[in-house]
Formats: sequence, structure tokens, C-alpha cells
Amino acid sequence: MPDNSGGGRGDSSVEKAREDFLSEAQELVDGLSRDLLLVDQQTRRGESDPHIVNDIFRAVHTLKGLAGLFGAVRMAAVSHELEELLDDLRLGRIELGVKVVDLLFRGVELYGELLLAEKGHAPEPTQAVEEFLFSLGAVTHQGAPGAGGQVAQYEIDSSILGVLTEYEEHRLRTNMKADVALYRIRVQLALTTIDSALDDLKAAARPHGEIITYLPTGSGSDADRIELEILMASHAELETLRGAFRGLDVVVEAVKKRGGGGSRSSQVDATPAPSVPLAPAAAPAQPPQDELDEAVVTPWPSEVAALSPKPVHTPPPAERGSVSPALTVPPPFPGVVHPEAAPGAQNRDLSLRSVSQTVRVDIRKLDNLMNIVGELAMVRAALGRITERARGDARLRGFGSELHRLQRSFERHLTQMQNGILEVRMVPLGQVFEKLARVVRQISREHDKEVNLVITGAETEIDKLIVEELSDPLMHMIRNAIDHGIESREERSLVGKPAAGTVALNAFQKGNHVLIEVEDDGMGMSPEVLTETAIKRGILKREEAEELTTREIFNLVFVPGFTTRETATDFSGRGVGMDVVKTNIAKLGGVVDITSEVGIGTKITITLPITLAIISVLGVEVHGRSFAIPLASVEEAIVLDEALVRSYDGREALTQRGMTLPICRLARLFELEAPPLSDVGARRPSKPCVVIASVGNRRLGLVVDRLIGQQDIVIKALGPSLRSVRGFAGATELGDQRVGLVIDVAALMDEVMASEKERIGVVEGARAR
Amino acid sequence: MSIGTRKRPDRAVARRAADVGKRVEYVAFGLAGEAYAVPIARITEILKPLPITPVPRAPRVVIGVMTVRGRLVTVVDLRRRLRLREAPMDSRSRILITDTGEERVGLLVDEVLQVHRLAEGEIEPAEVLGGDPQPYIAGIGRPEGALLVLLDLRPILDL
Repeated sequence: MPDNSGGGRGDSSVEKAREDFLSEAQELVDGLSRDLLLVDQQTRRGESDPHIVNDIFRAVHTLKGLAGLFGAVRMAAVSHELEELLDDLRLGRIELGVKVVDLLFRGVELYGELLLAEKGHAPEPTQAVEEFLFSLGAVTHQGAPGAGGQVAQYEIDSSILGVLTEYEEHRLRTNMKADVALYRIRVQLALTTIDSALDDLKAAARPHGEIITYLPTGSGSDADRIELEILMASHAELETLRGAFRGLDVVVEAVKKRGGGGSRSSQVDATPAPSVPLAPAAAPAQPPQDELDEAVVTPWPSEVAALSPKPVHTPPPAERGSVSPALTVPPPFPGVVHPEAAPGAQNRDLSLRSVSQTVRVDIRKLDNLMNIVGELAMVRAALGRITERARGDARLRGFGSELHRLQRSFERHLTQMQNGILEVRMVPLGQVFEKLARVVRQISREHDKEVNLVITGAETEIDKLIVEELSDPLMHMIRNAIDHGIESREERSLVGKPAAGTVALNAFQKGNHVLIEVEDDGMGMSPEVLTETAIKRGILKREEAEELTTREIFNLVFVPGFTTRETATDFSGRGVGMDVVKTNIAKLGGVVDITSEVGIGTKITITLPITLAIISVLGVEVHGRSFAIPLASVEEAIVLDEALVRSYDGREALTQRGMTLPICRLARLFELEAPPLSDVGARRPSKPCVVIASVGNRRLGLVVDRLIGQQDIVIKALGPSLRSVRGFAGATELGDQRVGLVIDVAALMDEVMASEKERIGVVEGARAR
Repeated sequence: MSIGTRKRPDRAVARRAADVGKRVEYVAFGLAGEAYAVPIARITEILKPLPITPVPRAPRVVIGVMTVRGRLVTVVDLRRRLRLREAPMDSRSRILITDTGEERVGLLVDEVLQVHRLAEGEIEPAEVLGGDPQPYIAGIGRPEGALLVLLDLRPILDL
């Protein structure tokens, strides 16, 4: 088993996530340049394949997303503009010519430089990025006046472009198409009065145009003031706007068009691509126009293909480190590697080395490996039996102990291998959390609520397969928290809460489980309102409601149809789709719990197993049948003392260390027939045992006939035709071709509690699922 | 077996094969004294009964699960599924394994008889039995005067 005891891995995990990002980006860039080579060859032959352009578009789009996630602002901006260009290409707005291909190559080259910079091997190629964006803008502008790509014409900070929401981007574009002027408004606001001040600002802006976005600049503000940069589109003149905002202490300036004024303008209109470097030191020294044409005739694709499968654009890291931001050594002309022009063979070799040192593997391959390890575990067990036989035989003693040594070594290595594979499958939860941060931003804007997302424990690791299945349920829970938990600004200020609500996403490891909490500081849920609604909906009878514990009341939100039937109530939602959340989490072998306090907030806790692949189980026997109980849920096993068992209304419990432990006789629950007497006689009589299982903070004693022992197993899912069967997480081979069913402890607990509710007739729907 | 053929109803398989002048191979098996058959292409292997682990709370037609070379197989008692009189397994009992794509299912039959190659002309529609035939009956095979109830596995496996 991997060392699961350590909780905080802190910086190293953040580092790991960054490494993942860098390796994924590097891979995408490598793929990009391969595709570009193909495009280039086709362009030269006068052909074009829309699929490749689409592939490139998708890769750039993914890069943009990745860059956005990891705050690689420049990379996001470059991707954003490249995406525009590619979109234009895709839609046939501009023609795929040599110049465009060159630009794309330059883009790949820039990606390489940016990645190196992200790794800290080189300074940020600030100027090169500016330069590139400028050239891109020129091309898209030239190709399609009025169509996409105008964004680059404006001197909008790339850090802003990178974080616009889709809608904001759309608005920006629409305004540009309509030729509405853009203004940048900077304002410093005191945090204490930010709400009213913003409202004033909005009111002042409304008659004159449209606010596209406001973003904190992160500069020029002290602890209790914040500086916002507002992007506004307006038909009004600069002076008119300044007049409108008079008295609000704002700075208004027009956003200049890159090509529309200032020192850069003249070249743009004259030549589509800038043919003269703006500053002598500025990098991608584009060759003059005639050289470009010459490059067309050079039969270089075959040359490049012969040199390497990847195009060579990225200057070597070693050299990179010593170069100043403004490159002094012009890189080889994009894509074209003339043997005589290349800065030496050594250079080329070095730049072939990619930044990434990781390999991405299909998880199914890991599953396959895991299955093989599982089979090996069975071989090990068989080998163990033979070894024991040999050691027990006086004639084979020497042979036996030799076998025993080998067996020990085999065991050790097998365990290491198992752990190694498991470790590969583990990924930090941060992968999902980052996505959720964007969701929070989006949802809180939709609802016009201010919400801070506080994440802790993003470094907590869990099985990759679980992570993939987690984003939907978590997104749902967060949406609920913002939608229905967090109050409006007015309501919050009425009860003296800060205007900004908080949604906390906490993850931590507890034994072999990972706990994820989604906690809000919203209005909370009132047990009274919940029960009233349940009664109104006919889910609950009034006299039954009185018997429910608080926890059972909160669990009402998981009853299908509890709120979906009519969502427009005071506390609507909260339960919308919560049954789906619960079902999805249950599929992963997890449980969901809710606690809530009116006026304070709601906390939903998900308890998940760390891995799905190999699990340790306790083998047990009930009426001659073998079952396996996941060891992660087993606290201990004790001998059943019937004298201690008390029964209430057909339910049984015993007192163990001063605590009440509900017990469940598996033979009775599964309605197993007693084995024939002859079988029982053959086995040595044994006292029934109670396996004390716990999930989250719930405990249940499972009564079995006999304990068989501990074993590591590969769990196999039951087929769809057994989907309706509850209580089993899957099946496993126990050797000698026997199959043991793996008990789903969480489901059994639910069932034992549900059956209590059923007794008082509360939850009908839950079992039908 | 490709996805395409898996999705096509057996009846259509038979018809199409006949159109191009081919015969379809059916494996015939006995159940409570009658002869039934399914297209042999649907059966991946035929096994003698292995130890089967009963699954508590499973649908009644499911006998249990077993593993075949590391893969889990759900075993269905075809007698129970077709609502025929039940009988214990014996030395002639066989399990026909079929793969639905999502799951491997074993069908327990009394015995395996033989393989028939049927042309379209040797297959009568299920309606000849009169009235409203069960959806899992794909037709009636008439090889050389014998009578085979041809089964469509999809509705049968829809438990």
C-alpha cells in the first residue's frame, strides 16, 4: 500500500500539477508543429485538408484553456489570438498561404519560448509576444475586415484578454464589429463601500454604452482598497465619458487601435505583414518580402523531414538562459532550416530535447497492468500453499526453505509493483478544483453574487478514475451552494454578513478514504422547513416527521423528487439533482453527508475510497458462501456474544465499549439458506463473528459465521443485468475458481437505515432506484 | 463480432444472409425436451458448468456469477428465463457464452445438439405459432423436417 499517512504534501504537489501542465502543453506544442509541417507540405502542393486545421485549432484551444488555468497569461493571450486566426482559416475567411503558415510556425516557436520561460529556464519573451500578436492582428485584419480577430488591433492588455468570459468576449467582439470605440477606465475603490461605489459607476456608464468587463488589476491597491480596470464600449467621445464619470475619481482613457494611431500605424496599412522589425533588437527578424518568396521555392520540407520528425524552432534551453529578453540571436527562419543557415548542428540537437520528462498513459493500460498484478497475486497465493507443503515435508526441508526465500522475495517485489502502479494512478484533486474555480466565477456572475472560493487540500491525491467522475457532482454541489445557499448582497448585509459569500472546498485524507467538503456560509437549511416541505409533498406523514433525527431530515434532500417536483419554494434547489449527486458518489463507493445550521451555512461531506483498482478485503463466510468486506471500511472483528444483543422492533444492536452498535446478520439480510447439516459437521464449529464496519462516522456490525482472512483483490464490476442488485460493490476471484462477492458497506448501511425509515413508511423512492 | 452486427436483430441477420444467398449457422440446444437455436455467431464459447456463485437478491433467472479466464460471467438459467419447468444440472448441461458488449452472459441449457445451416426458405416467421408470439422468438427453423425455435438473444438478455 502506498504511504497514505502523510497529509500535507504542500508545495511539491503544486509543483507536480505545474509539471503536468508543462508536459501536457509541451506535448500539444509538439503535436502542433507536426501538424503544421503537414499543412505546409500541403499548402506547397496547393492542397488543403480541413481536418488538420481543425486539429490545430483544437490543440490551440486546449493550450489556451491550460494556460488560463495555470495563470500563464502570455501563453493564454498568444493562444487566444492564434485561435482567432485558425478560426478564420477554418471558416475560410482568410486563405491558407505561406505567410499564414509562417505565422503559425512562429507561434509554435513562441510557445516553446514561453514554456521555457514557465520552467524558469529563460526570461519571458515579452517583446516577442507583443510583436507576434501585432503580426497576427495584421493578418487577420487584412484577411477579413469586420470579421473575427479585431481584438488584436486594440492595445488591450493580454492579461485581460486571457480572462474574459465567453460572453464578455462576445460582447467585445460585437462592439468592435459595430465599430464602437473602446475605453479603459481605472478606478480605486475602498473595499468597505465597493458595492455602492460600483453601482454608482454602473449607473454613470449606462447612458453612454456598455461595460464589458471589470477586473482587479492587482496593482496600486493597498489592503483595504482595490483597483479595478473596466473595459467599456461606447459611442461617446472621450471627453463626454470623462464628464459622465466626473466626481467618481476614475481615470478614463481610450483604448488605442494598434494600427489606428501612434508610431506603429504606418507599416500596417502599407504591408500586411510587418516587414521591418520594430526595434533592431526585437526578435523574430522576419526576412524581407522577397526572401519570403524565395523560401517558397526552397524544397525544405524533405530536408526537415530528414532532420527530425519534429520541426526545430526552439532555441536550446542552455543558450536561452543567458540571452536577454530582446533576443540578440535571431532564431532560424520559422520552419526553414538551411544547413548553412542553421546555427550549428549542436544547436539543433539540443533544441530537439523537449521540456517534458513525463509520459502520458491511457488509464486502461494501467488497469490492464493492475489485472496482471491481480493474477500474479493469485499465483503468489498458490505458491505460498506449495511452499508450506514443502516446508512441512521432512524430505523436502532444504528445498522448502529455499522456496520460502524465493516466495518472500516474490511477494516483496509484487507489493512494490502494486504500489508503483497505484501511485501512477493517483492524481491531486487540484485538477478538478481548478475547473471548479472557473465555475464559481461564472455562476456567481450569473446570479450577481460575490463569492470567494477557498480551496484547501488541493494536493490530496486520489485515483484518476475517481477524479474524472467527481467534477460533475462537485459542480452540482457548488452550483447549489451559490444558487441557493449564499444569500443576495442585500440579505447578507441585513444579517451583518460580509457582502461576499464564501464557498470552501476542503479535501483531506483520513485513513484509506479521502474526504471532500463543500461548505458555504449562506442561509443554511432549516429542519422545520425541510420536514414541512416533505409533508406537503406527501413524502412524509406528520407523525413520522417527529420521529426523524436531524440527520435523517437533512438526508431528505437526497430523496428523488423531493424538490424537483416543484422547485419554486423558499428554499428551492438544495435538493435539485442531489439524488443524482448521491447516486454518482455511491457508484464510486462513496457516501454523502449533510450538516446545516440556519443562518450559518451548509456543509456537504463526501467520503471516497482512495483507489478503485486493488483493494484489501477481509474474507468472510456466511452459510458456506464466501464474501469479501473491503478492509478500508473494517474497524475490527469481535466474537459475537449473543447475550449482549438487544433487539428493538426487529432491529438488533449490541453495546460495544459503551457505544451502541447496530448489527446486521448477513445470512438474514441476504436470505441465505443454511447449508446442509453434513457440510456443517465437516467443518470445525466456530463462533459467529461481528465485523465492525465504518464509513464516515457511521458504524455497523456485520454478523458472519467465520473469518477467512485478509487478501488483496482486483475488483470486477457486476454486469448490467445485475444492476438492480444492491449491497455488492462487485465480485472477485478468490482462487480455485471460486467467486466471492464484495460487500458494499456504504450501501448496506444506507439500507439498514432505510429499512428503519421504511418501517415508518418514509422513503419510498429511494429503494426503487 | 463488430458492433454493427451486434445491434442488428437476429431476424434481420437471417434475412440479409439469405438475400445474398448465404446460409446462417445456428447452434441448436435442448431445453425441457424441445429444440431451440441461436445464430452461432452470437456464441463465443460453450462450456461445461463451472462453479457458480449465487448472487443474493439477483433476479430469479440469474443463477449467479462465475469467472472464465479472469472475466466475470453472469449465468442465466434459460429454462427459468423462458418460463419452462426447472430441472437440476447434469453431466450434459452446458453454458453458452455470449458477449453483449457490456457484459458476458452465460446461458444454461440442458444439452447442446448440433449446428444447422439454415437458408431463408427454411425459416418460418414466428407468427406461424399463432397469435402474439413472444418477442424473443425470431422464427421457426425447419431443417429437414425437424423443428427449431429460433431465439433472439437481445430481448432474452433484457432482464
